[in-house]
Amino acid sequence: MSRLFRWLRGNAERYLLLASQEEMARRYLQREGPVGRQNFFWRRLFVPVYRVLPWGLRRKIMSAMPGSHRQWSRGHAPRRRT
Amino acid sequence: MALGTRIVVIGGGAGGIGAAGAARATDGDAEVRVFTEFEDVGYSPCGIPYVHGGEIDSFERLFLADKQTYEQAGIDVRYETRVSGIDLDRRTVAVEGGQSEPFDRLIIATGFEYERPEVPGSDLGGLYYVKNIRQAMEWDRVLDQARTAVVVEATPLGLEMLTALAHRGIEVHLVDPRPWLLADVADPDIMAPVEESLTDLGVKFHFRTEVQQFIGDGTVRSVRTSKGDIPADVVVVCTHKRPNNRLAAEAGIKLGSTGGMIVNERMETSAKGVYGAGDCVELPHEVTQVPIVALTGSHAYAQGKVAGSNAGGGDRRYQPVYVPWGMVAGKKMIGGASLGETLATALGVPFVMGVAEGISRARYYPEVQKLRVKLLFDPHSRRLIGAQMVGGEGIKERADFLGVAIKKHATVEDLAWMENVYSPPIGALNEPIALAAQDCLARLRG
Repeated sequence: MSRLFRWLRGNAERYLLLASQEEMARRYLQREGPVGRQNFFWRRLFVPVYRVLPWGLRRKIMSAMPGSHRQWSRGHAPRRRT
Repeated sequence: MALGTRIVVIGGGAGGIGAAGAARATDGDAEVRVFTEFEDVGYSPCGIPYVHGGEIDSFERLFLADKQTYEQAGIDVRYETRVSGIDLDRRTVAVEGGQSEPFDRLIIATGFEYERPEVPGSDLGGLYYVKNIRQAMEWDRVLDQARTAVVVEATPLGLEMLTALAHRGIEVHLVDPRPWLLADVADPDIMAPVEESLTDLGVKFHFRTEVQQFIGDGTVRSVRTSKGDIPADVVVVCTHKRPNNRLAAEAGIKLGSTGGMIVNERMETSAKGVYGAGDCVELPHEVTQVPIVALTGSHAYAQGKVAGSNAGGGDRRYQPVYVPWGMVAGKKMIGGASLGETLATALGVPFVMGVAEGISRARYYPEVQKLRVKLLFDPHSRRLIGAQMVGGEGIKERADFLGVAIKKHATVEDLAWMENVYSPPIGALNEPIALAAQDCLARLRG
């Protein structure tokens, strides 16, 4: 099971970061985004869908992943807003 | 027959040595044994690039203590001894060569491995992974003969090595598929002055470029990239760090989505009496509540202290992290805490931003330096959630301060109207952090 979550997290992290880097590179440097092989599902479907979800829901999904954060007492992280 | 609690530590880096020392300090009767596959423990691998760059005159200066010091402290270090397995039922570790070592408490501090580039020629000689000090000593002699070098990826280590090799007079090229330096951590406007500074030192950048092959006959001679071949006497591979958790996984200890061991606040893993510390564990990032891995040596050491203390019978807690960071690249200092704009955008964390250009000393004082500060606030609570900075001095102290400010829930108003030190040689009339927060207030007012 932990392999599945690693795969999910690895891909989600990679493609969300790629999309953000593309945006930042255009805005600040007038450069194109990162290069490299990209998977259609993660880049063209997952990223746009993730971005339209409300922050509260995104946060819940991230928190639901197994990990150290679920073993620790909760702090002050921003809990709401879209 | 053992008299005290048998505490075994796997790994002799910052986490392992911190743990061993804390275990002995907590339980003076404990038998503390450290296994390391390397020839040394207790040195600063983070200092290696600065020896290569000539800022530090010898590798010996990176050692914190000699072998005798550990003996005198009651820590039995087994050098060049690789642990090949952990048996949680029998409470033993298997040591290569057949020996079996019993433990009452175990601390796993097995550190990290670099991601290996999956391209042809990855097994050639001349590919340098900066990690072990003895190898670094040998590589330093290789660098004496090198005229050209390629650094693969602009990670924090990559930036340090670019700076070091340029200082050494080597023609150095960076190859990175991303569009700017340190793009997984830092924002492009923060890194632009660093790129300029490294360009002044002679570094040649190949952004948005992929490594396709290392070419050579036994030893690398050039790097084939998506934009052509680059001659290289040495290639320094500075790819991302991944937790080295083969032993833990084989023993059945739970790993998280990062590949790091899941630990609780006491740094205890899913196996009772087994603790973890350093780059092989994942920790919650407080602002996002997302677990993260591969932090700094200071994090590893502090985690080791908590793990060791608890293994010795104490009751200490580690805290979620905010990750204040800072470094020198080229002639610039960069740093921050928690999130930057790029990462917050990637995660979809809501934020409102303030940016200011300030100065590090009174405007008339010699060697005054520019400072760019960028602050991110939660738009609802108005609390600080992230910061990034670039300048010539005073970055580290501000990053430390901002890390605590995030932890203590400082708001945009707190920072906008903060008191600040004004003394011409060390601080300007207007603190750049306050200016950035005031900019954010102006944006919030629309």
